[in-house]
Amino acid sequence: MKARVRFFARFRELLGAEVIAEPAPGTSFLTLIRDVTRGNGEGHDAVFDEGGAFREHVILMRNGKRIEATDAGETMIADGDEIAVFPPVSGG
Amino acid sequence: MLSERERERYQRQILLFGEEGQERLKEAEIFIAGAGGLGSPVAIYLAVGGVGTLTVVDSDAVDRTNLNRQVLHTDRDTGVKKVASAREKLEALNPDITIRAIDAHIGEGTAAKLVGRADGIVDCLDNYPARYILNRVALDKGIPLFHGAIRGMYGQATTIIPGKTPCLACIFPKAPPEEEFPVVGVTPGLIGMVQVNEVLKYLLGTGDLLANRLFLWDGLQGQATEICVERNPACATCGDGAERGRVKRRKG
Repeated sequence: MKARVRFFARFRELLGAEVIAEPAPGTSFLTLIRDVTRGNGEGHDAVFDEGGAFREHVILMRNGKRIEATDAGETMIADGDEIAVFPPVSGG
Repeated sequence: MLSERERERYQRQILLFGEEGQERLKEAEIFIAGAGGLGSPVAIYLAVGGVGTLTVVDSDAVDRTNLNRQVLHTDRDTGVKKVASAREKLEALNPDITIRAIDAHIGEGTAAKLVGRADGIVDCLDNYPARYILNRVALDKGIPLFHGAIRGMYGQATTIIPGKTPCLACIFPKAPPEEEFPVVGVTPGLIGMVQVNEVLKYLLGTGDLLANRLFLWDGLQGQATEICVERNPACATCGDGAERGRVKRRKG
């Protein structure tokens, strides 16, 4: 199955605009994002904290709906899912 | 009523909005929080568009490092209070409107009074703690908050209508870490224009607002995307269990 993961803003600079992932059935949102950021130290560290959890300001969306970081480990990816991962920007 | 002079000044947009629309703009009061990178283009275009009263609030003075993006201010304004510089430029651009330039910090104790009876708040701030305060004021007063923020060549904007859309804290429950953000002037220029476009549509009652939609701009790719956003029933600010909700219910 396929899922499209899109990054925005700073995450896009570090991890690229999008990744078409082919997760195995039963892959969670958290596992998928860990997998696609693996091997990119700076990108991974921008998204995850030292304990491997999503940094608290990171916004997670699946098919236009927000996923709470605390639910990301139990939220399973389905074929064709569109995932967005981004940090809010704050300047003005 | 529009004066003859105003009919002339706004002639080309009266073709779009009609005299009635232009009068609506004239009757309106918009609160602009910040006279920096976003606040500059926002104030300029609301002024030339004929929004009758603009309240511009900022507590900073112009620094030379501001000048790559804060287009209300010029090199000779360095060291001058931003609101004084803003008033001078905006009055020169459009002497037919009222500029209220207030040298003040937008904080917990001041925000509600500063906003007063404005018809809308434009978020031109550079930090989330102050944005959350304005978000609360917008909810309490039931007036829209036109959010914008930028970093580098990226930007975001959305229109928050109390009771109809998520509030700012629903969309961004946690502030990103503070930093000295990189920025090039075109990014706040562009996001500021999105915000002004929203304000005009809201005041004129025309078009579709960026309500329940987060507009994301990637200047590097020249690409705009939007993402649906929803109210968070558990939002600490506007959710079912939020403090202000409980206070309201007790009153009601």
